[in-house]
Amino acid sequence: MPKETMHRTASDNVYFHRDFHGALSASIDYLHETYGEESVREYLWQFAKAYYAPLTASLESRGLVAIEEHFRKVYELEGGTVRFDLSEDELRIEVDACPAVTHMRRQGYGVARLFRETTGTVNEAICDDTAYRAELVEYDDATGRSVQRFCRREQP
Amino acid sequence: MISCTEFIPAYSELFKYLEARGGRDAVVRFWEYLSDTFLGNLKSAVEKDGLRGCWVYWSHTLNEEAANFTMELDEEAGFFQIDMHRCPSMARLIELNHLEPYQDYCRHCDVLYRRVLEPFGLQCDVDLSRCHEARCSLTVTNRHVNQATTSDPADEGV
Repeated sequence: MPKETMHRTASDNVYFHRDFHGALSASIDYLHETYGEESVREYLWQFAKAYYAPLTASLESRGLVAIEEHFRKVYELEGGTVRFDLSEDELRIEVDACPAVTHMRRQGYGVARLFRETTGTVNEAICDDTAYRAELVEYDDATGRSVQRFCRREQP
Repeated sequence: MISCTEFIPAYSELFKYLEARGGRDAVVRFWEYLSDTFLGNLKSAVEKDGLRGCWVYWSHTLNEEAANFTMELDEEAGFFQIDMHRCPSMARLIELNHLEPYQDYCRHCDVLYRRVLEPFGLQCDVDLSRCHEARCSLTVTNRHVNQATTSDPADEGV
């Protein structure tokens, strides 16, 4: 067999490696098993505070439309059926099945018991220190079906 | 939801979290766990096709990750190499202005892949000397083939 060579540049392909969902799920399981349940939330909180800092700043300055725009992009990219309902003080996102969970189930990857925290804790962290709060109203561990709510914090 | 396109910063931040909790050893233990539990595709490909399994595995992942690379396979010489001209993961981390990559981020590739490949008698060499530029290389050689092709001709037929 002669020598084979493959050469690719970044523009030859689209950056979209769904198996990373499985790696994230395995990471969450590892934290859960090694350091306990709270470590999963602590890690996801720290990650979201750091990585989504520009989104949090945008939420502060532009309101809930910033969150809507962000998640529209995410779900357009990942696929799935999602409904957005935005009013002045509230955003509801209804996801029929989480695309990450769908991919993992299809590929036979285990889905971490605390995978829901990649939605719940992350959304809460994005809203931390803003006039808004996030709530994971419903979540189905089997499919990742969810109802996510972002709204203004109650005034003291 | 965390998009799969946002996984790499999540991964890098996880390394930082683990190091803060348990030092460098905690990070390495996690990499070993991930290698053992998540690289079944690579393991089964190499089990089935030897060095060609590397070619099959990385043909899939590097294309999905939109990497800029040159990959070579020479089965007769027992040689496989990925010359990564621009690693999509490290490049993304470098481009993020508000997040610092984990200080030894690229080391995970060395630990993860070596752990799968070496039990098959494959030698795994990773050059991370230019990883701060998102460049690196992974060379996998089949020691048995190399020994056969570089042995002293006088030994032949003995």
